[in-house]
Amino acid sequence: MSRPSNSMDANAPYILFDDVEVRYSELVYGLRGLTLSISQGEFVFFVGPTGAGKSTVLKLLTREVRHTGGSVSLRSQSLDELRDRDVPILRRQMGIVPQDFGLLPRKRVWENVGYAMRAIGKTRREVRKKVPDILESVNIGHRADAFPHELSGGEQQRVAIARALINDPRLIVADEPTGNLDPAHSLEIMEILQRLSDRGATVLVASHDITVVERMGKRVVTLEEGRVVSDERPGPTPNLVAVGAAVGEADDPEEAILSRLPQPNVAEEEA
Amino acid sequence: MFDRLDFLIGEAFVALRRNSWMTFASVTTAAVAIFLLGSLAFAYRGVNDYAKSLPGILDMRVFLRDGIGTEQISATANKIRSLPGVESVYWIPKDKAWAERKKTDPNIPPDLANPFPHSYKVVLKNIDTADDVKRYIAAMPAVAKDGVVYLEDLQQLLTQVLFLLRTTGLGLGGLMLLTSGVLIYNAIRLTIMARRREIRIMHLVGATKATVVLPLLIEGILQGALGGAIATFLLWSGHRGLDSLLEHSTSLFRLPALPIVPWLLMLSSIGAAYGLVCSVLAAREPMQLAWLRAWRWRRHDRSMGEAPAEAA
Repeated sequence: MSRPSNSMDANAPYILFDDVEVRYSELVYGLRGLTLSISQGEFVFFVGPTGAGKSTVLKLLTREVRHTGGSVSLRSQSLDELRDRDVPILRRQMGIVPQDFGLLPRKRVWENVGYAMRAIGKTRREVRKKVPDILESVNIGHRADAFPHELSGGEQQRVAIARALINDPRLIVADEPTGNLDPAHSLEIMEILQRLSDRGATVLVASHDITVVERMGKRVVTLEEGRVVSDERPGPTPNLVAVGAAVGEADDPEEAILSRLPQPNVAEEEA
Repeated sequence: MFDRLDFLIGEAFVALRRNSWMTFASVTTAAVAIFLLGSLAFAYRGVNDYAKSLPGILDMRVFLRDGIGTEQISATANKIRSLPGVESVYWIPKDKAWAERKKTDPNIPPDLANPFPHSYKVVLKNIDTADDVKRYIAAMPAVAKDGVVYLEDLQQLLTQVLFLLRTTGLGLGGLMLLTSGVLIYNAIRLTIMARRREIRIMHLVGATKATVVLPLLIEGILQGALGGAIATFLLWSGHRGLDSLLEHSTSLFRLPALPIVPWLLMLSSIGAAYGLVCSVLAAREPMQLAWLRAWRWRRHDRSMGEAPAEAA
């Protein structure tokens, strides 16, 4: 592949992993024969224990990791032979949300987003025009002048998501976006990701937060030792906006979220 | 375009400010190194120009053996002309030399036989090649024993002075340059460490490698160029002070002129080029040079049997 392009076959999967193997050394594997296809606009959770290969799957798409076997394609374009100089072009097609937020502590919220825009060649004028809209889209516009240390964990993650939106991506890749957050803030983040999905973005989330994953009712791919052990399709979508509104009215926001979200199947859990 | 430059240069200045002490150390060391090299180069050029200005200092007289034919004279002249360090060779026929001698000394009896052999006047390019040229010419079969004559003592003295300047310049200046190179390298590495968050974000959002690396290279270039500029100022000040001292103490010797603008441009450019080299070396990991990566992969493949995964 010379470089990622925008054209794709309408019937082809948006993302395709075909018998993908990632081997770090002779004995250490990241993935073993992973085969998976994801359609455009899908919201997919990758779950599993530490070392199962959740992050590796996402890193294959962001090209932080190379596969050593099989093939990976995005928008019908193979990533197998992607040249190093084309990796930035690939990454501009997606929004990457890291677990640790990755915010610059000496820059204000708007500067964090503006800096990322400047890094990809946007002008000052474009930054001034676009940053407020991006911040508003993740409900952090009112904290635009705050420094990261003045924000809660959920607000910091919202800034990280805002930064991931600077390229208007059709693919959002989030590695443990709620890993450092309490349930209330986890809900906020999921609500934003849900909204992006509703607008047509494909959202891939690696998570070990089973409670949130189950309550989102999305497709869940479970990995163990680098293999897919289950691939469950989505159930009914919860009304997260309504749940979120109720959180602010409750005495105990965490309890309010847990009580109003769809409950997991107890019988299955016990089994 | 200007917006882009503004961002890249702004990033470099942020790095310089953040590592201010390291920047100070590397700039001052680069300044001292370039000052040493610059002043010794200036002195070397001064001595060389002085040597060239002395009458006959670059001339060498070569006397040939008796009975040499015209063909051999011509062939020997061509051989001498081809030696490195020889500017030109003139043949002085024995009759012409004798006529000139008799013209300058009217007391020579008219019936005295011509004692002169055929000879050459050899003009050298540089004074420091004289010994080598003499050795080669003396070994030629057409040249008489002890037939190479020149101002050996003065030439040797000047050659030694030039040698001393050259070795001191290369030794001391080189050592200082190496030190400043290590300091610039370390400053860039510290910048990479201090700016690892920014670099990571750049990678995440799809910034090109040029965007990641150019501020680091600009930082190195600025450090080197600033060192060169300070060195020029030191050199210019030292030149003025020494020249003023010589003017008051003796009228026999004056320093050659030191035009500030050409020297500023030259030393700053040298510093900038050196800073660029050091920063390229220091930034080679973020640059992830394609050929270097390809080479590493091939080497790894050979040791593993097939390609392993690698973090980008």
